[in-house]
Amino acid sequence: MKKTHNINIGNSIIHIEEDAYEILTVYLNEVKQHFSKNADDFEIVTDIENRIAEMFAEKLFAQQKQVVNVEDVQSVIQQMGSVKDFETSEESAEEQIPTPEYNSIKKLYRDTDQAMVAGVCAGLGHYLDIDAKWVRLFTFLTTFIFGSGLLVYMIFWIMVPKAKTRIEKMEMRGEETNLKGFANSYLHPFAEQSRGFIAGLIQAIGEFLQGTGKVIFKIIVGSIVVFASFFLLGTIVALAAFLGFWNSDVHNYFPISMVNEEYLFPMTIAAFIVLIIPLLALILFSIRVGFNGRPINKVLSYGLLVIWLGGVVTGIYYIAKVSTEFKEGAEFAQTTPLKTYPVYSLNINMERFFTREDSLNYRIDPARYKGRKILNNRDDNFNNPRSISFRIEKSTDGKVSLSTNFKSRGKTFEVALKNAQNIHYDFLQEGATLSFSPVLHIPKMSNWRGQEVELTLSIPVGTEVQVSNEFYRYLRGYGYWDCEHEEGAEYSSWIMTDTGVKCKFEKVKKED
Amino acid sequence: MIAENTQTQMRKGILEYCVLLIISRGEIYASDIIAELKQAKLLVVEGTLYPLLTRLKNNGLLSYNWQESTSGPPRKYYMLTEDGKAILNQLDTTWQELSYAINTSKKVADQESKESTKQTES
Repeated sequence: MKKTHNINIGNSIIHIEEDAYEILTVYLNEVKQHFSKNADDFEIVTDIENRIAEMFAEKLFAQQKQVVNVEDVQSVIQQMGSVKDFETSEESAEEQIPTPEYNSIKKLYRDTDQAMVAGVCAGLGHYLDIDAKWVRLFTFLTTFIFGSGLLVYMIFWIMVPKAKTRIEKMEMRGEETNLKGFANSYLHPFAEQSRGFIAGLIQAIGEFLQGTGKVIFKIIVGSIVVFASFFLLGTIVALAAFLGFWNSDVHNYFPISMVNEEYLFPMTIAAFIVLIIPLLALILFSIRVGFNGRPINKVLSYGLLVIWLGGVVTGIYYIAKVSTEFKEGAEFAQTTPLKTYPVYSLNINMERFFTREDSLNYRIDPARYKGRKILNNRDDNFNNPRSISFRIEKSTDGKVSLSTNFKSRGKTFEVALKNAQNIHYDFLQEGATLSFSPVLHIPKMSNWRGQEVELTLSIPVGTEVQVSNEFYRYLRGYGYWDCEHEEGAEYSSWIMTDTGVKCKFEKVKKED
Repeated sequence: MIAENTQTQMRKGILEYCVLLIISRGEIYASDIIAELKQAKLLVVEGTLYPLLTRLKNNGLLSYNWQESTSGPPRKYYMLTEDGKAILNQLDTTWQELSYAINTSKKVADQESKESTKQTES
């Protein structure tokens, strides 16, 4: 089997085999070049082409075949005569001006026949007349200079076409693409030697990508489209849900609770636009790449870009606005004296304490509610990050006290202080047991402004504290694992010394 | 080199003369001209003829018309113009003169060579 070309020569269509076509092309180019000195070159060449077409037609008819092959072309050229034959009988033979041999100009191609990877080095070797191994060595060495060799290799790989046809291969080697060169190249076919293992592998990968890879590629692109579409749908549903649940609980959860209520709507819309447009673009682009879809309308794509930028600018504007709400900080402390006990036990109390305000809000009848508890089981740590911290200090005056430090931020100091004052924190002392709430409470519909509560328990030297396991997360500055506690025990014991709090039982051994 | 050049010049002149002669017999197709020239061993390749025909046509010695062909596209059929015929007549005369000149020169040369061979034999 051979590849054929359809050529229009002398106004007739001829089927011609590829190798025959190459020879014919070179021959006609030589003829054209030869007669280009002649004023009537066009007419002469046309006459010659017409005659060649006629000869082909005769040959095809005589041999009852459909395709012109190399022998036919060679016999036609023999009959028509080579450029050398013309020269000897040419009238203006004396005044021949030597024309530059444009045919022998070297061109840079990738030599995939002798490639190690993609034939870049081999091609450069041909072009620069150096052995390919030196180019390879150079590339390899420069790869260690910040990978520049590799980068240049990649660029050449992309930019330089590979030598496919015989003419290109001959141009790559700087051989004359005339009939003589052709004869040579047929006598000495381009060796496919020294094909590196990597080149074979890469070719295999290339073939794979073109064959089964295409299917896989389409599957990948298809799944991108499907997932992006789902995500897009999800975003739209989320927006609808968000707008629907506007005045509900959503506002009290942490990331949203930062944002002032009046900013929430534009910010939501901005976030929606910023998210949805790239998704839309990804889907359209994937469809286009994977399934040869039509490019997107220019007006539409620019419009989407403008809308997206608008969304980004709006988002940034409101983010900046919100961040000014955190400009100033304020804090105030409240110290509660505690009754003195030799041993304290520190607990986390999950019970939800109600303020008078809350009781009114929830319409709780104190009489009906007596003896009941509302357990706040939700892990609220996420809602108000890093909101509670606890430290144990040595008391200087021998008294036991709990200092509560309320901190907050705000646009101005006054606002920050007001925010700090609005913090509600529950703490309960029942004898020697100190119960702390795991969360702080801020008034309904107010924003998160970095509210924090720092608790400092001051105890005199020699006082023991039993820290419950749940309490550890709130304890700052003491390693939980430094103090081995008895297995199954719900607390570990610490004791206040002159240098600070110490673990009572240093590393209890496993044997006991 | 000089011999080659002279040969080329001679061939060139005679080729033109022959082409005109062949065409003078009537409308003729380029490849038929070539067939005859080949027979006369004056020309071996077709490609040489086309520039010549074009040049003669541009000088007004030839004209052509397109004729339908059974085996492909229409063909150019060449014929002599009035100018061409006049030139051909001139060339005929020139050729006779030339041939006389050559024959005369050859005769003299032949006689001389015969004499010289006789002298060497004797």
